[in-house]
Amino acid sequence: MKFSNLGKETPILDGLEKVTGRARYVPDLKVEGMLHGRILRSPYPHARLKKVDISKAERISGVRDIITGKKVSQHKFGPMVPDWVILPDDKVRFHGDEVAAVAATSEESAAEALSLIEVEYEVLPAVFDPELAMAEEAPLLYEEKENNIATTFYVHKGDVDKALAGSEIVFEETYQTNQVYQAYMETMAAVAAPGDYERLTMWLSTQIPSMSRLRYAEALEICAEDLRIIKPHVGGGFGAKFEYKAHILAAVLARRTGSPVRMVNNREEDFRAGNPRVPMKIWIKLGLAKDGTLLAKDTRIIAGNGARTVYAPAITSTACYRIDSLYKFKNVRSTGYTVYTNTIPTSCFRGFGNAQMHFAMESALDTICHQYNLDPIKIRQQNGVTPGFTSIHGWEIKSCALKECLDKAVEESNWYDKKKEPAEKSPVKKGIGVAICNHVSGNRPFFKPFDGSSALVRLTPEGKAIVFTGEADIGQGMNTAFALIAAEAVGLDVKNVRTAAVDTDISPFGLGSFATRGTTIGGRAVYEAAVNLKKQLLEHLARVYEKKIEQITINEGQIYFDDQEDPITVAKAIQTISYTLGGTSLVGHGVFVPETVLPDENKYGNVSPAYPFGCHIAEVEVDTETGRARLLNYWAVHDVGRVINKQTLEGQVEGGVMMGAGWALGEDMVVKEGKLLNPNFHDYCLPTAMDTPRGRIYSYFLESGDPNGPFGAKGIGEPSLNPVPAAIANAVFDAVGVRVKNLPITPEKILEGLASA
Amino acid sequence: MSGSNNAQAGQMAISFKLNAKEYNLTISANERLLDLIRNRLGLIGTKEGCGGGECGACTIIMNGQAVNSCIIPAARADGAEILTVEGLSGGMENELHPLQKTFLEKGAIQCGYCTPGMLLSAKALLDQNEGKEISRELIKEGISGNICRCTGYQKIVDAIYTYARERKGIE
Repeated sequence: MKFSNLGKETPILDGLEKVTGRARYVPDLKVEGMLHGRILRSPYPHARLKKVDISKAERISGVRDIITGKKVSQHKFGPMVPDWVILPDDKVRFHGDEVAAVAATSEESAAEALSLIEVEYEVLPAVFDPELAMAEEAPLLYEEKENNIATTFYVHKGDVDKALAGSEIVFEETYQTNQVYQAYMETMAAVAAPGDYERLTMWLSTQIPSMSRLRYAEALEICAEDLRIIKPHVGGGFGAKFEYKAHILAAVLARRTGSPVRMVNNREEDFRAGNPRVPMKIWIKLGLAKDGTLLAKDTRIIAGNGARTVYAPAITSTACYRIDSLYKFKNVRSTGYTVYTNTIPTSCFRGFGNAQMHFAMESALDTICHQYNLDPIKIRQQNGVTPGFTSIHGWEIKSCALKECLDKAVEESNWYDKKKEPAEKSPVKKGIGVAICNHVSGNRPFFKPFDGSSALVRLTPEGKAIVFTGEADIGQGMNTAFALIAAEAVGLDVKNVRTAAVDTDISPFGLGSFATRGTTIGGRAVYEAAVNLKKQLLEHLARVYEKKIEQITINEGQIYFDDQEDPITVAKAIQTISYTLGGTSLVGHGVFVPETVLPDENKYGNVSPAYPFGCHIAEVEVDTETGRARLLNYWAVHDVGRVINKQTLEGQVEGGVMMGAGWALGEDMVVKEGKLLNPNFHDYCLPTAMDTPRGRIYSYFLESGDPNGPFGAKGIGEPSLNPVPAAIANAVFDAVGVRVKNLPITPEKILEGLASA
Repeated sequence: MSGSNNAQAGQMAISFKLNAKEYNLTISANERLLDLIRNRLGLIGTKEGCGGGECGACTIIMNGQAVNSCIIPAARADGAEILTVEGLSGGMENELHPLQKTFLEKGAIQCGYCTPGMLLSAKALLDQNEGKEISRELIKEGISGNICRCTGYQKIVDAIYTYARERKGIE
């Protein structure tokens, strides 16, 4: 296929405002009369609120309002489990839990008021480890939640016990993935302002403008239509920026005071009360035939929910069974417990549980290959899913270039030559490791009522096209992808296309940026809207220029009539058309509702319209004297269906690889007795430019052309991270023979492994 | 927030040059340079990422050095020459500094929150190594105080390296 706009390296269309510093994010907004909101957070992991005295704090000059649990409604709500209240009036459940909130005319007054709120806490016994929290004697976070279990997930297909009994190779191991922080550069932020008609406008740093509108309306007990959400530029999200308590508190304070309220986390509270990755303990048992054919998978997962439920239950279930559609399993069983502890509520982080399970599964396969002298490339080619395959859970794999991803990664990395290289004589050893991945591009059960998207594309009388979508660009370049899709579908020059900022008063409903769904589902809706716009444009061109539709071609902003030498520009034509129609713009409307199937009680369904795949190969060097591992080179090959924008695809992969490398090699939220010990970038070590590979991250994109994606495109956001920790762990093992089964792979663990070898 | 209305805090008059413009202001002793730039001068391109000098989002160039404006008292600006992202292009509305241009063209920007600070660290690094060969390793070291969570740094290093070589070619 020949494209005018797709497959190129197109710089993001909103790059100019970002590079000049003019781009406005929520913390940059100023609304006349704006108050500054601050939150008082619990210094105890579990405590009864005996008394919250605000009398001294109220007397501080500039303080306009202080709310506590006693002053607000105690109705329950929440994204998955109704265990949220606006502010608790009974007890706090984690170090960082919200106790009170202040609105004042300055940050200083708000901070001073916070320091004068007197809280009498009765410290309660607390539990921090999910496994210990399940024990009979463990203190309960919620009286009604037996053994602190928030949710249990169970699935069994085929006959796992029988298949394991018949397996020539049976492998069993336990892996642990730790709690890590998304560390978006812009902290959680909201500005809420009362408006006309008793409505409330909220500018949010969010991945889910439309969904948060529904949820916040529920929290505020108002009609969702009375809430207007605007999403300006967002400084990263990576899964964290979903429903957030501070947003709701800003809204409550704004409604009570009648004034705009700004609520922006400082970095420390963002660490203490953000929504970090769900930590998991994963027990896995695999049965294989002697030739490496996978026969059975049995897993049990204990996942940390933290002190209230955000999305951890869905993340645990994803860890339990999404990977079953990467390999051609016939017998699988999985049990997942999402368990309350007196720690930070956990939630989505790029990979959504699938990343956690990839670490376990891909590490396990590597160990099996080593123990039974199997080829780690061939075992994945032999068992990996193929086009047209329906997985054990009913997932329909339409497009799939998994095998080709493996081939390409092997070829580009010189895998087999590198495997033959003799071990280095120096104390610094090289190693190479492989891991593959799958993911979704949309997740039918995430929002129970539906999955899908809608979009509008408006062609103005000036010949500019504006895409309206409710899907959220959070920095990944989605708005540019939408513009490219619209430009390609109509036949416009992308320079004349832009995507409007999400404003729920104007934009269609969009579920948001999660489940790697933006390009595929949001993009397909934009495509449909553009096709609809083109149809209207052609009809009007035929009418105004007295041609038949078949005589007209539109390409790169030019309109060609087959009986005319010179084209006319879209801009000229649309102006002429518009003037015959009372000056209107042409508006194309598009809807995409994927033919997915909500999983039934046996978890049989088809959750996504398209499934992306990939293969990563990591090359590392490990210093046996210091125990330090670092990246040398990295090859990432992805089946993206179709390349919409090569530059932003590479950006996603390079960012995903380094985020995965940070997780694999050092990032760790160190919690002691429920208190986070490293809530800052000095002690929580994010990768810097110095941690990038000595060589390069090489990325390659294969185009399997999915039937559901726009022009065949599938997503990239999460698959770019899923295989990274395992690929690195496998490379470390190849280098020094040390198998680290609990992330992160620290120098201490490597040295310990070397010492016990 | 500005503490200029707080009579108890010590006030002082300072003068400095920012983006080639002279300023004479009265500041309070506890005012941070970052707040002066963002809240009083309204230059929102300088971002706050951590408030502790650990992420580089608030990087500005002060007297030729890239510094974190979140941990510098505004009083230190007295007599200084300061450059923020808004002044990078030399004050020309529709022109870009070549670094801004290569960042844009090479895809060195995603969410954009770290971009202003990253650009200023890059500029300071290149200015300090004028006429010298600049390696990728030196660039990585030079921007190691600036955290970018989106890009994985590769395209940022590529952009700076590309410009460094172009510049050398021109000289």
